[in-house]
Amino acid sequence: MICTGCSCLCDDIVIRDGKIFHACRKGVKHLRAEKATPSINSKPVSIEEALKAAGKIVKNANNLVIFGLDTIPCEAQEKAIELAEAKNAVIDDCSSFCLGDFVELILKKKVPTATLDEVRDKAYVILYWGSNPHQSLPRHMSRFTYYPRSGKRQRGYEEDRYLAVVDVRMSETAKLAKKGGRFVMGNDLDVIDSFFKAMEGKAGKHPEVAAILKEMQKADFNVIFGGLGLRYGLKGDYSRFVELIEKLNEISRVVFIPAGFHANMRGFNELMFKKTGFINAYDFSSGERITFGEAVKHADTALVIGSDPVKSLPPYIAARLAEINTVVVNPSQSLTARIAKVVIPTSISGVGQGGTMVRSDGLTVELEPFEESVSDAEVIISLLEVV
Amino acid sequence: MPNPMEIYKLLPKTNCRVCGEQTCMSFAFKLLTKERKLEECKPLYTPEYEVQRKKLEEILVVIEKATETGLIVDEEKCVGCANCIVSCPVHVEKDPYGAAMGKGITVEDPILRIEDGVVKIVKLDLCRRYGENRTLCVVCRENCPNDAISFLED
Repeated sequence: MICTGCSCLCDDIVIRDGKIFHACRKGVKHLRAEKATPSINSKPVSIEEALKAAGKIVKNANNLVIFGLDTIPCEAQEKAIELAEAKNAVIDDCSSFCLGDFVELILKKKVPTATLDEVRDKAYVILYWGSNPHQSLPRHMSRFTYYPRSGKRQRGYEEDRYLAVVDVRMSETAKLAKKGGRFVMGNDLDVIDSFFKAMEGKAGKHPEVAAILKEMQKADFNVIFGGLGLRYGLKGDYSRFVELIEKLNEISRVVFIPAGFHANMRGFNELMFKKTGFINAYDFSSGERITFGEAVKHADTALVIGSDPVKSLPPYIAARLAEINTVVVNPSQSLTARIAKVVIPTSISGVGQGGTMVRSDGLTVELEPFEESVSDAEVIISLLEVV
Repeated sequence: MPNPMEIYKLLPKTNCRVCGEQTCMSFAFKLLTKERKLEECKPLYTPEYEVQRKKLEEILVVIEKATETGLIVDEEKCVGCANCIVSCPVHVEKDPYGAAMGKGITVEDPILRIEDGVVKIVKLDLCRRYGENRTLCVVCRENCPNDAISFLED
């Protein structure tokens, strides 16, 4: 089966005798999450009643905001976008504060990219920038980047890979990079400047980047994985980083892949980009960009699908969600479900519902569900019908 | 992890040879490698050494947990990244199209396998540290940044 715990979408998971094999701790927690129960105002009801109540709330909403969507299949996301269009609502997902900007750079073809399978077969220098995959994407390194022996890189991490990490702290990945490559600790903009200087033969604030450059020159395929550290370190201005990648490509082939996020965040970004030209945070009434954090201040109803904003976003959003009519559509128990007016449980993507998802590198993956259960698409279609 | 000197300090240090070893120091080394058991030191079980014996028993608990190759897995620290499984030279040789390429291991009885999100020891016969022609391989430990894998000699 396919694990939908993170954007690696590992396709080699085996479930036998009640045990889950090959999935990481994060994936097992996702697949075994405690199931939510349908409820209205925290009182348990049947799923039909919950659907009816949710339909009524969404139909009567004057200012609807739809949020989440990153853990559900593309088919359900499409329906959610339709619902947002029909209600002239605001739609947003976690990418507006996660790695959406990097996905936008790739969709607008500002930086060269590749698939993770190409990385596994060809990449020599693997540079994690502002990212600690050991925690956020546990199997990223063992499955796609540093450890596999595949294609042109049969000698594995001992000789055929070079791991480099740029980060502000000694992360687990940085510890590995210290052993088999290079770890640069510092400000992202300083490190970018150091790369430019190293290319001119001068020493910048971080002279150790020259060693990474030298290794890049040795190979014809290198990759940079950008994480949240890089996204926030660049403070919204990506021009210098894009320029760096262009310049690096004059020396050797260097591709860029966002280091990973929720299972199907890229799927949502691609659907929105095709439909509206924006990758996220879109207001269908005005045609402008507005993030969930802003939109929720003026909204009277929030439809939260497959996400837990109360847990992960600032307290003012949680307080506002408790004030307005909040409908939660989520497989597992969440803090947002506790303050919601209506809770509709659905099945976990890849377990009880099928469809397609898009991996962090843009590859479309078909899910392999093995149970029959309520899908997110069904719930959103029923809401669409009411509207 | 206890070292031989720590263990030696708590032994009677009389070199009485009751256990069959020439010196208490050599007995301490063999306690660490599990070739000897604490019960074989008879003087330690007299009231005179009771305090030291209790301390030794506490220290040696961790050694009891260790497997035949000295491998100790701390499941609490493991995140299931599978770095140890993919980097293991034996797995690479036995499963060239599975674990070697980063996928879940397909060998029926591998050395290590990820079960329920953490690494589990399945069968140590294949490990390079097992048997007569053993080598002191530490590849799995070297690639575990969480220190979930350790060896007795560490």
